[in-house]
Amino acid sequence: MTNHERFTHCFATSLNIAPDAVLDSLTYQSIPAWDSVAHMALVASLEGDFNIMLDTDDIIGMSSVAIAKDILKKYGVEL
Amino acid sequence: MASNFELLTGKVALITGASRGIGRAMAELFAANGAAVVLSGRSEELDAVSAGITAAGGRAVAVKGDIREEAHQKALLMAARGSFGGLDVLVNNAGVLYQGVLGMVEMAKVRDMFEVNVHALINLTQFAVRLMAAKKSGSIINLTSIAGTETIEGMPGYSAAKAAVIGFTKSAAKELAPKGIRVNGIAPGFIDTDMTRAMSADLHRKRVEGIRMGRIGTAEDIAKAALFFASDLSSYITGQILGVDGSMIV
Repeated sequence: MTNHERFTHCFATSLNIAPDAVLDSLTYQSIPAWDSVAHMALVASLEGDFNIMLDTDDIIGMSSVAIAKDILKKYGVEL
Repeated sequence: MASNFELLTGKVALITGASRGIGRAMAELFAANGAAVVLSGRSEELDAVSAGITAAGGRAVAVKGDIREEAHQKALLMAARGSFGGLDVLVNNAGVLYQGVLGMVEMAKVRDMFEVNVHALINLTQFAVRLMAAKKSGSIINLTSIAGTETIEGMPGYSAAKAAVIGFTKSAAKELAPKGIRVNGIAPGFIDTDMTRAMSADLHRKRVEGIRMGRIGTAEDIAKAALFFASDLSSYITGQILGVDGSMIV
C-alpha cells in the first residue's frame, strides 16, 4: 500500500465514506460524517498509520483533505 | 514488591515523574502486575528504574526529558505506540512544590507549579487520549494532593495548582466517559519522599502527629491506589478523587 493509498484509507475508514469521496476539496464539517468525533478518529488513524504525533495546532487546522496532505508533509510523509 | 496479582497483564502504562518516590513505586508495582511501562523523568535515576524492572522480568522503556516540553510529551506517546503498540493507562504524577506564605510568594515559582502540575498534565492527556480513543478504553490517573482537596495554610500556589488538577480531572471524566476512558485523581496526604524528608524535624513531627492513623504514608500506599484505578477493578469508576492520607488533619 502506498502512502497515498494509506492516507485515503485513513479518511475513508475514519469518516465511513467511500475512498473515491476522499477528494482534496472535501472540508471539515461539510458532510455529517466529518464531525468533531470523526475528526479525532481520523487524527488517531493518521498518527497510527504514519507513526507520527501531530501538534494540536495542526489538528485544529486540518480543515480539508488538501490541508491534511500539506500537514503530513511537515512530518516527513510524502504522498 | 507486594500486591502482585497480575492486574495489568496486557496493558501499557505511561508514568511521569518515575525516577523516584511515588512515580517509581507505581512503575515497579504496575510492572509487577504485568503492565509494560513507559517511564518519564529528568534524572539519570530513571534508567536504573527501567533496568530494575527489566531485570525482574518486566517490560519498561525510559524516556528522559522535561515534562513541560511538548516534544518530550510526544516522544512518550511515540514510545508507547512504537515499543508496546498503544496506551491503556496514563499516570500524570510529575509535579513540583514550592511553599511560601502570602506576601512572600514568588510568582516565577507559581508559574512553574502551574506549568508542571497543570499545563503539562493537560497537554499530555490530550496526546494520550488520541491513543486511547482508538481502543475506546483507557484509564487516566492524575496526582493531586490533600492541598488540592482541603487546601493547606502556607501553600497557596500549590493548593491552587492541585485544585486545578481536580477541576480538570472531573471535566475530562465527563467528556471522555462516552469514549470508554476513565479519569480519576489521587490526593495523597503526607508521604515519605525525598521532599518530606528534607523538612525540619519539628515540622515533620507535627505533620505526622496530624495523621489519625499514626504513621506517615508510603509511596507504595499511593501506588496501590493507582493500581486500583489503572486496573479493571475500577472499571465503573470515573471522575473521582481518592484521598490516600491516613485521615490526615489539615
